[in-house]
Amino acid sequence: MSQSPPQPVVAARDLRRTYHLGEPVHALDGVSLELPKGSFTAVMGPSGSGKSTLMNLLGCLDTADEGTVEIRGQPVASLSDGERARIRGTEIGFIFQTFNLMPRLTAAENVALPLVFTNPEGVDRRERAERLLSRVGLGDRLDHAPSELSGGQRQRVAIARALANEPALVLADEPTGNLDTETGAEIMDIFAELNAAGRTILMVTHERHIAEHAERIVHLVDGETERVEQLDSAGRKDGSEGSTAAGTGAES
Amino acid sequence: MKLGESIRISWRAITGHKLRSGLTTLGVIIGVGAVIVFMVLGGGFEENLVEDFREDEAPVMQVVTQTEPEGGFGIRFVDAPIYTERDVERLSGLEGVDYVAPDGSISAAQLRYGDGQSAGGSVGTFSITATNPEAFQGDAWEIVQGSAFSSEDEAVVNEALVTLLGGDVGVGDEITVRFEDGREPTFTVSGVVDDETGGFTAPNIYVPVDPYYTLTIVGPDGTEQRAYGTLTVAAGSVTELEAVQDRVQAYFDEESDARQLTEDNQEIVVRTTEDFVDQVTDIIDQFALFLGGIAAISLVVGSIGIANIMIVSVTERTREIGIMKAVGARKRDIVQLFLVESVILGVIGAALGVVVGLGAGYLGVTYFGWPMAYPIKWILIAVAVGLGVGILSGLYPAWRAARVDPIEALRRE
Ligand SMILES: Nc1ncnc2c1ncn2[C@@H]1O[C@H](COP(=O)(O)OP(=O)(O)OP(=O)(O)O)[C@@H](O)[C@H]1O
Ligand SMILES: [Mg+2]
Repeated sequence: MSQSPPQPVVAARDLRRTYHLGEPVHALDGVSLELPKGSFTAVMGPSGSGKSTLMNLLGCLDTADEGTVEIRGQPVASLSDGERARIRGTEIGFIFQTFNLMPRLTAAENVALPLVFTNPEGVDRRERAERLLSRVGLGDRLDHAPSELSGGQRQRVAIARALANEPALVLADEPTGNLDTETGAEIMDIFAELNAAGRTILMVTHERHIAEHAERIVHLVDGETERVEQLDSAGRKDGSEGSTAAGTGAES
Repeated sequence: MKLGESIRISWRAITGHKLRSGLTTLGVIIGVGAVIVFMVLGGGFEENLVEDFREDEAPVMQVVTQTEPEGGFGIRFVDAPIYTERDVERLSGLEGVDYVAPDGSISAAQLRYGDGQSAGGSVGTFSITATNPEAFQGDAWEIVQGSAFSSEDEAVVNEALVTLLGGDVGVGDEITVRFEDGREPTFTVSGVVDDETGGFTAPNIYVPVDPYYTLTIVGPDGTEQRAYGTLTVAAGSVTELEAVQDRVQAYFDEESDARQLTEDNQEIVVRTTEDFVDQVTDIIDQFALFLGGIAAISLVVGSIGIANIMIVSVTERTREIGIMKAVGARKRDIVQLFLVESVILGVIGAALGVVVGLGAGYLGVTYFGWPMAYPIKWILIAVAVGLGVGILSGLYPAWRAARVDPIEALRRE
């Protein structure tokens, strides 16, 4: 996948984001990043290093003070509020550490929620929600409320929801952070499957063994890229053996 | 975002807090309900009146004097004796006039009947009207028993008087009346009349003008003659009524004695039963509207209630708003969701208010024995107001919801 790519799904150049609360905090201080189509990238770094800030900028939830973000070649800065919302709905699927499901909607309705807002032609929402939930192993939990699901199940609903609009990019901010090791491994199996099916994924994590599912790891420190670590297939975990192979590489 | 979807999602939010939503709509229910109740009562009362008049629709008109009281509003009737005997005669000769019945009130003090029983120790519990036998000819008043008086020894009583005397008086019975001027004639009841017009009728005895009505004035031509406070004029048929009314009015405006006897601010009005009904229903309408307007104030309270709960709900659901924005909701989608929610609350409140109002109104008119009225216009207005209240009270909360920063919202625990 390292031949010169036709067009990256996301190209971010020299991103800066500064918060002014008394002392200015440089949450991001000149980060550049390209996500080729079909790539799986992990972001690691200490708390406060700017990982979530980066995700928000790439996911069009926030705008950078400096630098540019292009999604499939389109610069985001020039877009209106509504157009950015549209991009969030159609090009990006978010997965959060705290799942962020709508408490009053069922699993299937949660999955179909992005379709409600983007309203694509000729899509049977219920049918697509069922298909996506089956794909993450929840075909029998369609009409359960989030409160009736376990943490791992909720995260799978969130993954299914992130896929509802067949986005170009899946952004996951610590998707296993609230899950036990075993459930986390199951979630990573799903990520590996998605990636194998050609989905572009950017994932923030604190855990080395989770990050090792990706093909490269971007290390952030104090809002700057410290280094980018490429994982060859030897150092990389793949979904099928994921949960059993421990101890490949040290925790950072 | 499609409207149907936002209705579905908003409905979920509303039913998620049943008690709260119920209490929120209560303000609108009470406001709309109260307005509808007043309109039903007003309408029922009005229909009751109109029905009474329609039942005995007759080609009859009344000539009255009215004035606008200084510093007051509305109109007041004047009972001054200005309609002279000559006016009565000349009116009778007008084209299309069937008969003219004078309507002269005689002050009476006491009434005796049967074995010396008496009623009406004080004047006012019954009254005496001097008129012609022709007054009973038309369809306006229905003689339910006997016939009109045919001599000065006879009198006609109305049903209200029979009721007043406990049903003891009927055709053939004798009653003795003491007038205020001291005369104390005895009459044989020749007939009982149903002279009810809208349920107002007081107990009354009808006696011949001659010789009992003695009030005279000096007419414009210098002769002394009888004069009456009001006249009843009958046209030959209902179809002629309007034309005759115009003629009678013209007579009074141009050549009558009465015109010369009116004071500056007084006016002679010839009105048919229909005119009278119109006038009364106008007054009832205005009154119902006034009460309804007061009731509508509670709608303001109701809409503040909705706005308040919507603001609370925006705060509570900040995280959900963040989620929706993260998965692609635009500002206008969020506005739509919250507006739809408050409109649903407003419209449900209005709809329940209509039901409650009609129910309470039905109990009311049943109690009074009036016909049920369905104020369709006001029901439509109520629903429109519910819609308006929903939109108005939802605007600000929806705007706040749309402004929620998704990052902040998602960060909240
Ligand atoms: N809304 C904000 N206002 C002020 N400062 C902020 C805001 N959001 C983030 N920051 C600051 O920006 C820096 C980066 O925050 P960010 O959330 O990106 O860190 P992170 O790498 O995701 O950390 P963690 O691993 O704990 O989630 C932090 O120092 C944080 O305090
Ligand atoms: Mg973070």
